[in-house]
Amino acid sequence: MKSIASHQMKLYWPLYVMAIPGIIFLIVFKFIPLAGAVIAFKDYSVFQGFIDSPWVGFKHFETLLQHPDFLNVFSNTLLLGLFKLTIVFPVPVLLALMINEIRKSALKKGIQTALYIPHFLSWVIVGGILFDFFSLSGMFNIILGWFGAEPVLAMQESAYFRPIYVLASIWKDAGWGTVVYMAAISAIDPQLYESAMIDGASRIRQIRHITFPILLPTVLVLFLLDIGNFLDLGFDQVYNLLTPMTYNVGDILDTYVFRTGIQQGQYSFATAVGLFQSVIGFIMVYTFNKLSNKVSDGGLW
Amino acid sequence: MLASRGEKVFVGVITGLLILLSVVALVPLVSVISTSLSSKSAVDMNLVTLWPKQFTLDSWKYIVDRPDLWKSFFLTLSTTVIGTVLALLMTALFAYPLSKPEFRWGSVIMMAVVVAMIFKAPIIPYFLTVRGIGLYDNPLVLVIPHILNPFNLIIMRTFFKQFSKELEEAAFLEGCGYFRMLFQFVLPLSKAVLATLALFYGVVLWNQFQHPLLFLQDTNWFPLQIKIRQFITDDSVIMAGASSTMSLNYNERTLRAATVIFAIVPIVVVYPFLQKYFVKGAMIGSVKG
Repeated sequence: MKSIASHQMKLYWPLYVMAIPGIIFLIVFKFIPLAGAVIAFKDYSVFQGFIDSPWVGFKHFETLLQHPDFLNVFSNTLLLGLFKLTIVFPVPVLLALMINEIRKSALKKGIQTALYIPHFLSWVIVGGILFDFFSLSGMFNIILGWFGAEPVLAMQESAYFRPIYVLASIWKDAGWGTVVYMAAISAIDPQLYESAMIDGASRIRQIRHITFPILLPTVLVLFLLDIGNFLDLGFDQVYNLLTPMTYNVGDILDTYVFRTGIQQGQYSFATAVGLFQSVIGFIMVYTFNKLSNKVSDGGLW
Repeated sequence: MLASRGEKVFVGVITGLLILLSVVALVPLVSVISTSLSSKSAVDMNLVTLWPKQFTLDSWKYIVDRPDLWKSFFLTLSTTVIGTVLALLMTALFAYPLSKPEFRWGSVIMMAVVVAMIFKAPIIPYFLTVRGIGLYDNPLVLVIPHILNPFNLIIMRTFFKQFSKELEEAAFLEGCGYFRMLFQFVLPLSKAVLATLALFYGVVLWNQFQHPLLFLQDTNWFPLQIKIRQFITDDSVIMAGASSTMSLNYNERTLRAATVIFAIVPIVVVYPFLQKYFVKGAMIGSVKG
Protein backbone atom coordinates (compact mmCIF):
# COMPACT_ATOMS: atom_id res chain seq x y z
CA MET A 1 0.00 0.00 0.00
CA LYS A 2 2.69 2.44 1.01
CA SER A 3 4.57 2.12 -2.24
CA ILE A 4 1.41 2.85 -4.24
CA ALA A 5 0.81 5.96 -2.18
CA SER A 6 4.34 7.22 -2.63
CA HIS A 7 4.20 6.45 -6.34
CA GLN A 8 1.03 8.51 -6.49
CA MET A 9 2.76 11.41 -4.79
CA LYS A 10 5.72 11.22 -7.16
CA LEU A 11 3.44 11.64 -10.13
CA TYR A 12 0.67 13.80 -8.76
CA TRP A 13 2.43 16.06 -6.23
CA PRO A 14 1.74 19.26 -8.26
CA LEU A 15 -2.00 18.74 -7.74
CA TYR A 16 -1.49 18.65 -3.98
CA VAL A 17 0.74 21.73 -4.04
CA MET A 18 -1.88 23.63 -6.03
CA ALA A 19 -4.56 22.80 -3.49
CA ILE A 20 -2.61 23.98 -0.43
CA PRO A 21 -3.46 27.72 -0.58
CA GLY A 22 -7.14 26.90 -1.00
CA ILE A 23 -7.12 24.44 1.89
CA ILE A 24 -5.45 26.99 4.16
CA PHE A 25 -8.00 29.60 3.12
CA LEU A 26 -10.92 27.29 3.90
CA ILE A 27 -9.50 26.41 7.30
CA VAL A 28 -8.74 29.99 8.34
CA PHE A 29 -11.75 31.82 6.93
CA LYS A 30 -14.43 29.14 7.17
CA PHE A 31 -13.67 26.35 9.62
CA ILE A 32 -11.88 28.11 12.47
CA PRO A 33 -14.72 30.69 12.70
CA LEU A 34 -17.24 27.84 12.50
CA ALA A 35 -15.51 26.02 15.36
CA GLY A 36 -15.17 29.35 17.17
CA ALA A 37 -18.94 29.39 17.51
CA VAL A 38 -18.36 27.37 20.73
CA ILE A 39 -17.79 30.69 22.48
CA ALA A 40 -21.56 30.97 22.59
CA PHE A 41 -21.26 28.45 25.45
CA LYS A 42 -18.27 30.18 27.06
CA ASP A 43 -17.36 33.52 28.57
CA TYR A 44 -15.00 34.61 25.86
CA SER A 45 -12.02 36.61 26.92
CA VAL A 46 -9.63 38.10 24.40
CA PHE A 47 -6.63 36.85 26.38
CA GLN A 48 -7.81 33.25 26.67
CA GLY A 49 -9.13 32.81 23.13
CA PHE A 50 -11.59 30.28 21.71
CA ILE A 51 -10.10 27.27 23.49
CA ASP A 52 -9.18 28.41 27.00
CA SER A 53 -12.12 30.69 27.81
CA PRO A 54 -14.26 29.12 30.58
CA TRP A 55 -17.43 27.16 29.78
CA VAL A 56 -20.71 28.62 31.00
CA GLY A 57 -23.27 26.30 29.38
CA PHE A 58 -26.47 27.92 28.17
CA LYS A 59 -26.06 31.11 30.17
CA HIS A 60 -26.02 33.42 27.15
CA PHE A 61 -29.02 31.71 25.56
CA GLU A 62 -30.98 32.20 28.79
CA THR A 63 -30.08 35.91 28.88
CA LEU A 64 -31.02 36.16 25.25
CA LEU A 65 -34.49 34.69 25.63
CA GLN A 66 -35.22 37.00 28.58
CA HIS A 67 -33.96 40.09 26.81
CA PRO A 68 -36.86 42.39 25.86
CA ASP A 69 -34.91 43.73 22.83
CA PHE A 70 -34.34 40.25 21.54
CA LEU A 71 -38.02 39.39 21.17
CA ASN A 72 -38.61 42.52 19.10
CA VAL A 73 -35.52 41.97 16.97
CA PHE A 74 -36.43 38.32 16.45
CA SER A 75 -39.98 39.06 15.35
CA ASN A 76 -38.74 41.81 13.00
CA THR A 77 -36.37 39.30 11.44
CA LEU A 78 -39.03 36.61 11.22
CA LEU A 79 -41.50 38.95 9.53
CA LEU A 80 -39.04 40.30 6.95
CA GLY A 81 -37.83 36.75 6.27
CA LEU A 82 -41.41 35.66 5.69
CA PHE A 83 -41.97 38.54 3.26
CA LYS A 84 -38.77 37.63 1.46
CA LEU A 85 -39.91 34.04 0.98
CA THR A 86 -43.51 34.71 0.03
CA ILE A 87 -43.31 37.97 -1.94
CA VAL A 88 -39.73 38.37 -3.19
CA PHE A 89 -38.95 34.75 -4.05
CA PRO A 90 -41.64 34.11 -6.71
CA VAL A 91 -40.88 37.29 -8.70
CA PRO A 92 -37.89 35.96 -10.71
CA VAL A 93 -39.87 32.83 -11.63
CA LEU A 94 -42.66 34.95 -13.06
CA LEU A 95 -40.22 37.29 -14.78
CA ALA A 96 -38.35 34.38 -16.38
CA LEU A 97 -41.58 32.86 -17.69
CA MET A 98 -42.54 36.24 -19.12
CA ILE A 99 -39.16 37.02 -20.66
CA ASN A 100 -39.19 33.60 -22.28
CA GLU A 101 -42.33 34.56 -24.23
CA ILE A 102 -40.51 37.37 -26.03
CA ARG A 103 -39.11 36.15 -29.32
CA LYS A 104 -37.47 39.34 -30.59
CA SER A 105 -33.94 38.85 -29.32
CA ALA A 106 -32.83 42.52 -29.37
CA LEU A 107 -35.80 43.56 -27.26
CA LYS A 108 -35.28 40.59 -24.96
CA LYS A 109 -31.66 41.55 -24.43
CA GLY A 110 -32.54 45.19 -23.70
CA ILE A 111 -35.13 44.18 -21.11
CA GLN A 112 -32.72 41.76 -19.47
CA THR A 113 -29.95 44.36 -19.29
CA ALA A 114 -32.27 46.92 -17.69
CA LEU A 115 -33.42 44.37 -15.12
CA TYR A 116 -29.89 43.09 -14.36
CA ILE A 117 -28.22 46.47 -13.74
CA PRO A 118 -29.45 47.10 -10.17
CA HIS A 119 -27.90 43.79 -9.08
CA PHE A 120 -24.43 45.23 -9.61
CA LEU A 121 -24.94 48.24 -7.35
CA SER A 122 -23.90 48.07 -3.71
CA TRP A 123 -26.46 48.47 -0.94
CA VAL A 124 -24.77 51.73 0.01
CA ILE A 125 -25.57 53.03 -3.46
CA VAL A 126 -29.08 51.56 -3.48
CA GLY A 127 -29.64 53.17 -0.07
CA GLY A 128 -28.36 56.47 -1.47
CA ILE A 129 -30.66 56.22 -4.47
CA LEU A 130 -33.67 55.41 -2.27
CA PHE A 131 -32.96 58.21 0.22
CA ASP A 132 -32.80 60.59 -2.74
CA PHE A 133 -35.90 59.17 -4.39
CA PHE A 134 -37.93 59.44 -1.18
CA SER A 135 -36.55 62.79 0.03
CA LEU A 136 -38.88 65.77 0.49
CA SER A 137 -38.02 67.24 -2.90
CA GLY A 138 -37.51 63.77 -4.43
CA MET A 139 -39.46 62.11 -7.16
CA PHE A 140 -41.75 60.12 -4.86
CA ASN A 141 -43.05 63.25 -3.17
CA ILE A 142 -43.32 65.13 -6.44
CA ILE A 143 -45.56 62.35 -7.76
CA LEU A 144 -47.58 62.36 -4.52
CA GLY A 145 -47.96 66.10 -5.03
CA TRP A 146 -49.55 65.59 -8.45
CA PHE A 147 -52.36 63.75 -6.69
CA GLY A 148 -52.59 66.42 -4.02
CA ALA A 149 -51.22 64.17 -1.27
CA GLU A 150 -49.14 65.47 1.62
CA PRO A 151 -45.40 64.77 1.32
CA VAL A 152 -43.99 61.94 3.47
CA LEU A 153 -40.43 61.10 4.45
CA ALA A 154 -40.94 57.43 3.71
CA MET A 155 -37.43 56.29 4.68
CA GLN A 156 -37.86 57.77 8.14
CA GLU A 157 -41.33 56.35 8.68
CA SER A 158 -41.79 52.96 10.41
CA ALA A 159 -44.89 52.10 8.42
CA TYR A 160 -42.93 52.29 5.15
CA PHE A 161 -39.87 50.31 6.18
CA ARG A 162 -41.14 46.82 5.35
CA PRO A 163 -42.66 47.71 1.97
CA ILE A 164 -39.44 49.54 1.05
CA TYR A 165 -37.34 46.55 2.15
CA VAL A 166 -39.41 44.22 -0.03
CA LEU A 167 -39.47 46.53 -3.06
CA ALA A 168 -35.74 47.23 -2.77
CA SER A 169 -35.02 43.48 -2.67
CA ILE A 170 -37.10 42.94 -5.78
CA TRP A 171 -35.64 45.92 -7.57
CA LYS A 172 -32.06 44.88 -6.89
CA ASP A 173 -32.11 41.13 -7.37
CA ALA A 174 -35.26 39.87 -9.08
CA GLY A 175 -33.86 40.55 -12.57
CA TRP A 176 -30.61 38.79 -11.84
CA GLY A 177 -32.54 35.94 -10.23
CA THR A 178 -34.01 35.09 -13.62
CA VAL A 179 -30.60 33.97 -14.95
CA VAL A 180 -30.84 30.56 -13.30
CA TYR A 181 -34.40 30.00 -14.47
CA MET A 182 -33.63 31.16 -18.01
CA ALA A 183 -30.83 28.60 -18.07
CA ALA A 184 -33.23 25.86 -17.00
CA ILE A 185 -35.79 26.96 -19.59
CA SER A 186 -33.24 27.06 -22.40
CA ALA A 187 -32.41 23.41 -21.65
CA ILE A 188 -35.99 22.32 -22.45
CA ASP A 189 -36.28 20.18 -25.58
CA PRO A 190 -37.93 22.32 -28.34
CA GLN A 191 -39.69 19.20 -29.64
CA LEU A 192 -41.96 19.30 -26.62
CA TYR A 193 -43.29 22.67 -27.74
CA GLU A 194 -43.55 21.58 -31.36
CA SER A 195 -45.71 18.60 -30.54
CA ALA A 196 -47.78 20.71 -28.17
CA MET A 197 -48.39 23.17 -30.98
CA ILE A 198 -49.43 20.41 -33.34
CA ASP A 199 -51.94 19.38 -30.71
CA GLY A 200 -53.19 22.95 -30.73
CA ALA A 201 -52.05 23.92 -27.25
CA SER A 202 -52.07 27.67 -26.69
CA ARG A 203 -49.10 29.64 -25.35
CA ILE A 204 -50.63 29.80 -21.90
CA ARG A 205 -51.25 26.06 -21.87
CA GLN A 206 -47.67 25.44 -22.99
CA ILE A 207 -46.43 27.50 -20.04
CA ARG A 208 -48.71 25.66 -17.65
CA HIS A 209 -48.08 22.16 -18.88
CA ILE A 210 -44.51 22.25 -20.21
CA THR A 211 -42.36 25.18 -19.06
CA PHE A 212 -43.59 25.49 -15.50
CA PRO A 213 -43.50 21.78 -14.57
CA ILE A 214 -39.97 21.46 -15.97
CA LEU A 215 -38.92 24.56 -14.06
CA LEU A 216 -40.39 23.34 -10.80
CA PRO A 217 -37.45 21.24 -9.53
CA THR A 218 -35.11 24.24 -9.97
CA VAL A 219 -37.61 26.44 -8.16
CA LEU A 220 -37.80 23.91 -5.36
CA VAL A 221 -34.03 23.65 -4.90
CA LEU A 222 -33.65 27.43 -4.81
CA PHE A 223 -36.58 27.69 -2.41
CA LEU A 224 -34.94 25.22 -0.05
CA LEU A 225 -31.65 27.12 -0.18
CA ASP A 226 -33.56 30.33 0.54
CA ILE A 227 -35.30 28.76 3.51
CA GLY A 228 -31.91 27.93 5.01
CA ASN A 229 -31.00 31.61 4.72
CA PHE A 230 -34.45 32.58 5.88
CA LEU A 231 -33.23 34.70 8.80
CA ASP A 232 -30.26 35.98 6.82
CA LEU A 233 -31.73 39.19 5.51
CA GLY A 234 -28.50 40.75 4.37
CA PHE A 235 -26.61 42.96 6.80
CA ASP A 236 -25.62 45.49 4.13
CA GLN A 237 -29.17 45.84 2.92
CA VAL A 238 -30.85 46.47 6.25
CA TYR A 239 -28.00 48.55 7.64
CA ASN A 240 -28.16 50.89 4.65
CA LEU A 241 -31.94 51.25 4.65
CA LEU A 242 -32.25 51.78 8.39
CA THR A 243 -32.66 55.12 10.16
CA PRO A 244 -33.03 55.72 13.92
CA MET A 245 -36.72 56.38 13.29
CA THR A 246 -37.27 52.92 11.78
CA TYR A 247 -35.37 50.92 14.40
CA ASN A 248 -38.54 49.55 15.98
CA VAL A 249 -39.43 47.64 12.80
CA GLY A 250 -36.07 47.41 11.02
CA ASP A 251 -33.66 46.27 13.72
CA ILE A 252 -32.89 42.63 12.88
CA LEU A 253 -30.64 39.87 14.22
CA ASP A 254 -27.73 40.91 11.98
CA THR A 255 -27.78 44.56 13.05
CA TYR A 256 -28.37 43.50 16.66
CA VAL A 257 -25.32 41.20 16.57
CA PHE A 258 -23.28 44.04 15.08
CA ARG A 259 -24.32 46.41 17.85
CA THR A 260 -24.01 44.09 20.83
CA GLY A 261 -21.00 42.15 19.55
CA ILE A 262 -18.75 44.46 17.58
CA GLN A 263 -19.69 47.83 19.05
CA GLN A 264 -20.29 46.79 22.68
CA GLY A 265 -17.84 43.88 22.75
CA GLN A 266 -20.25 41.28 24.19
CA TYR A 267 -18.65 38.62 22.03
CA SER A 268 -20.13 35.49 23.59
CA PHE A 269 -23.63 36.90 23.84
CA ALA A 270 -23.62 38.07 20.21
CA THR A 271 -22.28 34.68 19.09
CA ALA A 272 -25.17 33.02 20.90
CA VAL A 273 -27.55 35.22 18.89
CA GLY A 274 -25.75 34.28 15.67
CA LEU A 275 -25.75 30.58 16.52
CA PHE A 276 -29.45 30.72 17.36
CA GLN A 277 -29.99 32.18 13.89
CA SER A 278 -27.92 29.45 12.17
CA VAL A 279 -29.65 26.65 14.08
CA ILE A 280 -33.11 27.92 13.15
CA GLY A 281 -31.98 28.12 9.52
CA PHE A 282 -30.74 24.54 9.65
CA ILE A 283 -33.95 23.26 11.26
CA MET A 284 -35.99 25.00 8.56
CA VAL A 285 -33.98 23.48 5.70
CA TYR A 286 -34.08 20.05 7.30
CA THR A 287 -37.85 20.14 7.86
CA PHE A 288 -38.72 21.47 4.43
CA ASN A 289 -36.34 19.07 2.77
CA LYS A 290 -38.11 16.17 4.51
CA LEU A 291 -41.43 17.59 3.39
CA SER A 292 -40.37 18.00 -0.22
CA ASN A 293 -38.94 14.48 -0.24
CA LYS A 294 -42.36 13.24 0.82
CA VAL A 295 -44.38 15.37 -1.56
CA SER A 296 -42.15 14.89 -4.60
CA ASP A 297 -38.82 13.25 -5.26
CA GLY A 298 -37.06 16.61 -5.27
CA GLY A 299 -34.98 17.97 -2.43
CA LEU A 300 -31.47 18.98 -1.58
CA TRP A 301 -30.44 15.54 -0.36
CA MET B 1 -46.12 28.86 -37.10
CA LEU B 2 -49.52 30.47 -37.23
CA ALA B 3 -50.32 32.53 -34.21
CA SER B 4 -53.94 33.14 -33.44
CA ARG B 5 -55.25 36.54 -32.51
CA GLY B 6 -55.45 35.62 -28.82
CA GLU B 7 -51.82 34.51 -28.87
CA LYS B 8 -50.73 37.81 -30.36
CA VAL B 9 -52.61 39.74 -27.70
CA PHE B 10 -51.04 37.55 -25.02
CA VAL B 11 -47.50 38.13 -26.27
CA GLY B 12 -48.27 41.82 -26.77
CA VAL B 13 -49.47 42.25 -23.19
CA ILE B 14 -46.44 40.45 -21.78
CA THR B 15 -44.06 42.47 -23.94
CA GLY B 16 -45.72 45.69 -22.89
CA LEU B 17 -45.61 44.73 -19.24
CA LEU B 18 -41.93 43.83 -19.39
CA ILE B 19 -41.01 47.05 -21.18
CA LEU B 20 -42.91 48.95 -18.51
CA LEU B 21 -41.09 47.06 -15.75
CA SER B 22 -37.67 47.73 -17.32
CA VAL B 23 -38.48 51.43 -17.56
CA VAL B 24 -39.71 51.50 -13.95
CA ALA B 25 -36.51 49.70 -12.88
CA LEU B 26 -34.46 52.50 -14.40
CA VAL B 27 -36.55 55.39 -13.03
CA PRO B 28 -34.82 55.73 -9.62
CA LEU B 29 -31.42 55.67 -11.31
CA VAL B 30 -32.41 58.24 -13.92
CA SER B 31 -33.91 60.54 -11.31
CA VAL B 32 -30.66 60.51 -9.31
CA ILE B 33 -28.66 61.29 -12.45
CA SER B 34 -30.99 64.20 -13.20
CA THR B 35 -30.69 65.51 -9.66
CA SER B 36 -26.90 65.47 -9.88
CA LEU B 37 -27.08 67.59 -13.05
CA SER B 38 -29.65 70.11 -11.82
CA SER B 39 -29.23 73.36 -9.97
CA LYS B 40 -29.91 73.82 -6.30
CA SER B 41 -32.92 76.04 -6.89
CA ALA B 42 -34.52 73.65 -9.39
CA VAL B 43 -34.18 70.83 -6.87
CA ASP B 44 -35.52 72.94 -4.02
CA MET B 45 -38.56 73.92 -6.08
CA ASN B 46 -39.42 70.23 -6.70
CA LEU B 47 -38.90 70.58 -10.44
CA VAL B 48 -36.57 67.65 -11.07
CA THR B 49 -38.03 64.28 -11.99
CA LEU B 50 -36.57 62.46 -14.98
CA TRP B 51 -34.78 65.27 -16.75
CA PRO B 52 -32.20 67.74 -15.39
CA LYS B 53 -33.64 71.23 -14.81
CA GLN B 54 -31.42 74.33 -14.98
CA PHE B 55 -28.63 72.06 -16.14
CA THR B 56 -25.34 72.58 -14.34
CA LEU B 57 -22.15 70.62 -13.74
CA ASP B 58 -21.42 72.42 -10.47
CA SER B 59 -22.21 69.42 -8.25
CA TRP B 60 -19.95 67.27 -10.37
CA LYS B 61 -17.17 69.85 -10.34
CA TYR B 62 -17.37 69.93 -6.57
CA ILE B 63 -17.35 66.14 -6.28
CA VAL B 64 -14.40 65.56 -8.62
CA ASP B 65 -12.48 68.23 -6.70
CA ARG B 66 -12.70 66.27 -3.46
CA PRO B 67 -9.30 64.64 -2.92
CA ASP B 68 -10.64 62.37 -0.15
CA LEU B 69 -13.12 60.85 -2.58
CA TRP B 70 -10.42 60.16 -5.16
CA LYS B 71 -8.24 58.63 -2.48
CA SER B 72 -10.97 56.15 -1.62
CA PHE B 73 -11.66 55.65 -5.29
CA PHE B 74 -8.09 54.67 -6.14
CA LEU B 75 -7.77 52.52 -3.03
CA THR B 76 -10.91 50.63 -4.04
CA LEU B 77 -9.81 50.44 -7.67
CA SER B 78 -6.48 48.89 -6.70
CA THR B 79 -7.92 46.47 -4.14
CA THR B 80 -10.51 45.43 -6.72
CA VAL B 81 -7.96 44.83 -9.49
CA ILE B 82 -5.41 43.08 -7.27
CA GLY B 83 -8.12 41.13 -5.48
CA THR B 84 -9.74 39.95 -8.70
CA VAL B 85 -6.43 38.75 -10.16
CA LEU B 86 -5.51 36.97 -6.92
CA ALA B 87 -8.99 35.48 -6.64
CA LEU B 88 -8.88 34.06 -10.17
CA LEU B 89 -5.44 32.60 -9.56
CA MET B 90 -6.44 31.13 -6.23
CA THR B 91 -9.73 29.73 -7.54
CA ALA B 92 -8.08 28.21 -10.64
CA LEU B 93 -5.28 26.64 -8.61
CA PHE B 94 -7.80 25.05 -6.26
CA ALA B 95 -10.43 24.12 -8.86
CA TYR B 96 -7.95 22.36 -11.14
CA PRO B 97 -6.92 19.54 -8.77
CA LEU B 98 -10.53 19.27 -7.61
CA SER B 99 -11.55 18.55 -11.20
CA LYS B 100 -9.11 15.62 -11.44
CA PRO B 101 -10.19 12.13 -10.40
CA GLU B 102 -6.57 11.22 -9.60
CA PHE B 103 -6.50 13.86 -6.87
CA ARG B 104 -7.17 11.69 -3.82
CA TRP B 105 -8.30 14.45 -1.43
CA GLY B 106 -10.86 15.70 -3.92
CA SER B 107 -14.06 14.23 -2.53
CA VAL B 108 -13.24 15.14 1.08
CA ILE B 109 -12.41 18.72 0.12
CA MET B 110 -15.53 19.06 -2.00
CA MET B 111 -17.59 17.97 0.97
CA ALA B 112 -15.84 20.58 3.11
CA VAL B 113 -16.55 23.24 0.48
CA VAL B 114 -20.25 22.39 0.46
CA VAL B 115 -20.34 22.42 4.28
CA ALA B 116 -18.65 25.83 4.23
CA MET B 117 -21.30 27.02 1.80
CA ILE B 118 -24.29 25.78 3.81
CA PHE B 119 -23.11 26.56 7.34
CA LYS B 120 -22.15 30.17 7.60
CA ALA B 121 -20.08 30.85 10.70
CA PRO B 122 -21.60 33.44 13.06
CA ILE B 123 -20.07 36.84 12.42
CA ILE B 124 -18.44 37.27 15.84
CA PRO B 125 -16.07 34.25 15.77
CA TYR B 126 -15.33 35.22 12.16
CA PHE B 127 -14.47 38.73 13.30
CA LEU B 128 -12.27 37.42 16.12
CA THR B 129 -10.46 34.99 13.82
CA VAL B 130 -9.73 37.58 11.15
CA ARG B 131 -8.63 40.06 13.78
CA GLY B 132 -6.50 37.31 15.31
CA ILE B 133 -4.48 36.83 12.12
CA GLY B 134 -3.57 40.51 12.07
CA LEU B 135 -6.03 41.88 9.54
CA TYR B 136 -7.62 44.41 11.93
CA ASP B 137 -7.07 47.96 10.71
CA ASN B 138 -5.00 46.46 7.91
CA PRO B 139 -5.91 47.32 4.30
CA LEU B 140 -5.24 43.71 3.31
CA VAL B 141 -8.63 42.92 4.86
CA LEU B 142 -10.10 44.52 1.74
CA VAL B 143 -8.51 41.78 -0.37
CA ILE B 144 -7.60 38.54 1.39
CA PRO B 145 -10.97 37.40 2.79
CA HIS B 146 -12.47 37.72 -0.71
CA ILE B 147 -10.04 35.73 -2.82
CA LEU B 148 -11.88 32.42 -2.62
CA ASN B 149 -15.61 31.90 -2.82
CA PRO B 150 -16.98 28.33 -2.56
CA PHE B 151 -19.73 28.99 -5.10
CA ASN B 152 -17.28 30.38 -7.67
CA LEU B 153 -14.93 27.50 -6.95
CA ILE B 154 -17.65 25.01 -7.85
CA ILE B 155 -18.44 26.90 -11.08
CA MET B 156 -14.80 26.76 -12.16
CA ARG B 157 -14.40 23.11 -11.19
CA THR B 158 -17.49 22.21 -13.21
CA PHE B 159 -16.03 24.07 -16.19
CA PHE B 160 -12.64 22.34 -15.91
CA LYS B 161 -14.28 18.92 -15.75
CA GLN B 162 -15.48 19.18 -19.33
CA PHE B 163 -11.98 19.26 -20.85
CA SER B 164 -11.26 16.12 -22.81
CA LYS B 165 -8.89 13.64 -21.28
CA GLU B 166 -7.26 12.84 -24.64
CA LEU B 167 -5.83 16.31 -25.01
CA GLU B 168 -4.33 16.16 -21.54
CA GLU B 169 -2.90 12.69 -22.00
CA ALA B 170 -1.23 13.77 -25.22
CA ALA B 171 0.26 16.74 -23.45
CA PHE B 172 1.49 14.57 -20.58
CA LEU B 173 3.26 12.24 -23.00
CA GLU B 174 5.14 15.26 -24.31
CA GLY B 175 6.39 15.77 -20.76
CA CYS B 176 4.07 18.58 -19.85
CA GLY B 177 3.38 18.79 -16.09
CA TYR B 178 0.22 19.81 -14.28
CA PHE B 179 1.31 23.42 -13.74
CA ARG B 180 2.14 23.98 -17.42
CA MET B 181 -1.02 22.13 -18.36
CA LEU B 182 -3.12 24.51 -16.27
CA PHE B 183 -1.46 27.73 -17.37
CA GLN B 184 -0.73 26.93 -21.01
CA PHE B 185 -3.74 24.87 -22.06
CA VAL B 186 -6.59 24.93 -19.59
CA LEU B 187 -6.74 28.63 -18.61
CA PRO B 188 -6.44 30.02 -22.16
CA LEU B 189 -9.43 27.85 -23.08
CA SER B 190 -11.43 29.06 -20.08
CA LYS B 191 -11.87 32.72 -20.99
CA ALA B 192 -15.65 32.62 -20.63
CA VAL B 193 -15.62 31.28 -17.10
CA LEU B 194 -12.67 33.51 -16.11
CA ALA B 195 -14.53 36.59 -17.34
CA THR B 196 -17.66 35.58 -15.47
CA LEU B 197 -15.84 34.95 -12.23
CA ALA B 198 -13.80 38.15 -12.68
CA LEU B 199 -17.10 39.99 -12.79
CA PHE B 200 -18.47 38.16 -9.73
CA TYR B 201 -15.31 38.71 -7.66
CA GLY B 202 -14.84 42.25 -8.95
CA VAL B 203 -18.35 43.32 -8.00
CA VAL B 204 -17.98 41.90 -4.49
CA LEU B 205 -14.60 43.62 -4.03
CA TRP B 206 -15.83 46.92 -5.42
CA ASN B 207 -19.10 46.90 -3.45
CA GLN B 208 -17.82 45.52 -0.15
CA PHE B 209 -19.17 47.31 2.87
CA GLN B 210 -19.33 44.93 5.84
CA HIS B 211 -15.62 44.05 5.98
CA PRO B 212 -14.31 47.62 6.08
CA LEU B 213 -17.09 48.52 8.53
CA LEU B 214 -16.02 45.69 10.85
CA PHE B 215 -12.27 45.86 10.49
CA LEU B 216 -11.11 49.35 9.51
CA GLN B 217 -10.84 52.27 11.94
CA ASP B 218 -8.15 54.29 10.20
CA THR B 219 -9.88 56.75 7.85
CA ASN B 220 -6.88 56.56 5.52
CA TRP B 221 -8.00 53.08 4.48
CA PHE B 222 -11.68 53.82 3.98
CA PRO B 223 -12.78 52.29 0.68
CA LEU B 224 -15.25 53.94 -1.64
CA GLN B 225 -18.46 52.45 -0.21
CA ILE B 226 -17.67 53.61 3.33
CA LYS B 227 -16.76 57.06 2.02
CA ILE B 228 -19.99 57.24 0.02
CA ARG B 229 -21.94 56.15 3.07
CA GLN B 230 -20.38 59.05 5.02
CA PHE B 231 -21.29 61.43 2.23
CA ILE B 232 -24.86 60.17 2.17
CA THR B 233 -25.48 60.19 5.91
CA ASP B 234 -23.39 63.09 7.15
CA ASP B 235 -24.03 66.52 5.66
CA SER B 236 -21.02 67.98 7.41
CA VAL B 237 -18.75 65.55 5.54
CA ILE B 238 -20.24 66.18 2.14
CA MET B 239 -20.29 69.96 2.58
CA ALA B 240 -16.82 70.07 4.15
CA GLY B 241 -15.22 71.67 1.10
CA ALA B 242 -18.06 74.02 0.22
CA SER B 243 -17.32 77.72 0.19
CA SER B 244 -19.51 79.84 2.40
CA THR B 245 -20.60 82.22 -0.33
CA MET B 246 -24.32 82.36 -0.98
CA SER B 247 -24.05 81.78 -4.71
CA LEU B 248 -23.71 78.00 -4.43
CA ASN B 249 -25.40 76.23 -7.27
CA TYR B 250 -25.55 72.93 -5.44
CA ASN B 251 -26.84 71.61 -2.14
CA GLU B 252 -26.47 68.44 -0.06
CA ARG B 253 -28.93 66.62 -2.23
CA THR B 254 -27.38 67.33 -5.62
CA LEU B 255 -23.96 66.51 -4.18
CA ARG B 256 -25.16 63.22 -2.74
CA ALA B 257 -26.69 62.35 -6.09
CA ALA B 258 -23.41 63.09 -7.86
CA THR B 259 -21.49 60.97 -5.33
CA VAL B 260 -23.79 58.01 -5.85
CA ILE B 261 -23.45 58.17 -9.63
CA PHE B 262 -19.67 58.66 -9.28
CA ALA B 263 -19.45 55.22 -7.65
CA ILE B 264 -21.60 53.56 -10.30
CA VAL B 265 -19.65 54.83 -13.33
CA PRO B 266 -16.86 52.21 -13.21
CA ILE B 267 -19.39 49.36 -13.05
CA VAL B 268 -21.30 50.78 -16.01
CA VAL B 269 -18.04 51.15 -17.96
CA VAL B 270 -16.92 47.56 -17.37
CA TYR B 271 -20.33 45.92 -17.67
CA PRO B 272 -20.75 45.83 -21.49
CA PHE B 273 -17.35 44.16 -21.93
CA LEU B 274 -18.23 41.34 -19.59
CA GLN B 275 -21.92 40.99 -20.27
CA LYS B 276 -21.56 38.57 -23.15
CA TYR B 277 -19.62 36.21 -20.90
CA PHE B 278 -21.38 36.31 -17.61
CA VAL B 279 -24.78 34.93 -18.53
CA LYS B 280 -23.10 31.99 -20.21
CA GLY B 281 -20.82 31.47 -17.22
CA ALA B 282 -23.60 31.78 -14.68
CA MET B 283 -25.50 29.13 -16.61
CA ILE B 284 -22.57 26.71 -16.47
CA GLY B 285 -22.58 27.05 -12.71
CA SER B 286 -26.28 26.88 -12.13
CA VAL B 287 -27.26 24.04 -14.43
CA LYS B 288 -24.59 21.57 -13.53
CA GLY B 289 -23.35 22.86 -10.17
